[in-house]
Amino acid sequence: MKKILIALLVVVAAGAGVAYYLWNKPHVNLTNAKSDIAVDAKTLLEEYQRDEAASNEKYFDKVIAVKGIVTEVMNDEGTVKVSLETGDPNGFVVRCELSATAPHARTEFTAGEPVQFKGTCSGLNFDVQLDNCVEVR
Amino acid sequence: MKKIVLLFVVLAATTTLSAQNYFTRDGKVKLDATSSTSPEKIEALTKTASCVLDISTGKIQWAVLLKSFKFEQALMEEHFNENYVESNKFPKATFAGQITNLSEVNLAKDGAYNAVVTGKMTLHGVTKDITANGALNVSGGKIRVNAGFSLMLPDYGINIPSLVSDKVTKDARILIDATLEPMK
Repeated sequence: MKKILIALLVVVAAGAGVAYYLWNKPHVNLTNAKSDIAVDAKTLLEEYQRDEAASNEKYFDKVIAVKGIVTEVMNDEGTVKVSLETGDPNGFVVRCELSATAPHARTEFTAGEPVQFKGTCSGLNFDVQLDNCVEVR
Repeated sequence: MKKIVLLFVVLAATTTLSAQNYFTRDGKVKLDATSSTSPEKIEALTKTASCVLDISTGKIQWAVLLKSFKFEQALMEEHFNENYVESNKFPKATFAGQITNLSEVNLAKDGAYNAVVTGKMTLHGVTKDITANGALNVSGGKIRVNAGFSLMLPDYGINIPSLVSDKVTKDARILIDATLEPMK
């Protein structure tokens, strides 16, 4: 009887532990993540403009390492968004939204500098959008 | 000849008019699906909604990538993407519509206007007609759009399991705040 009670207690405690862990599950942190695909900003946008569905197959929700030249940096009420040059005639870019929770060595970037970010690809909305970004240094 | 010239003038004029597009890629869309009995907030925000508004015709288009919605709880964000909106199958929610009371709205002139927008909302692969009221504030060459409306999630094939129905409402509230600038 005692054994059953102890076993039950262990199960309940483990269940509570898992629930607690899940509830407080940390946000995606790509700092030490290995990227699935490396690509440059121009190629990424061009692929999406050519075939959005196929590009989503290839990139969506994957960890992408994207290289490019910074064209614009915006701090939108605490959310940092960095645009990477693509040469698109309408001015559409690859947009990297920095992770709000992962640590960053810096959040200031200058137009014209080459950078590389790791981020998860959220798809095409005029621009190609990458979320959870961290800089690759 | 005169007719052809006239035709060209008319064409040129209409092209200029139809080119009066205002745009943003930084629209904020807040989703609030907190049920009245929920102890915690079920809400998410994206700051990367796009909007294109043609001020001459009143045509307006929105698009938002569902993966860009941020929740406070990582687990909620995961459930939202995987179990509710299935963003891997349907990465985007879109709206394409029309300001129906354009005659009362002069977007070329500074001021505050109430707009009624009606059009087609596509979410989770389902398209429905919706109508929403919004406020438009025109100032210094920019148009700020504020609107709020409800979406019945089951209408879009998004079912709320009864297990969480005390927390997550079927009747999600959407709030929009975006500042549009002339498209370059």
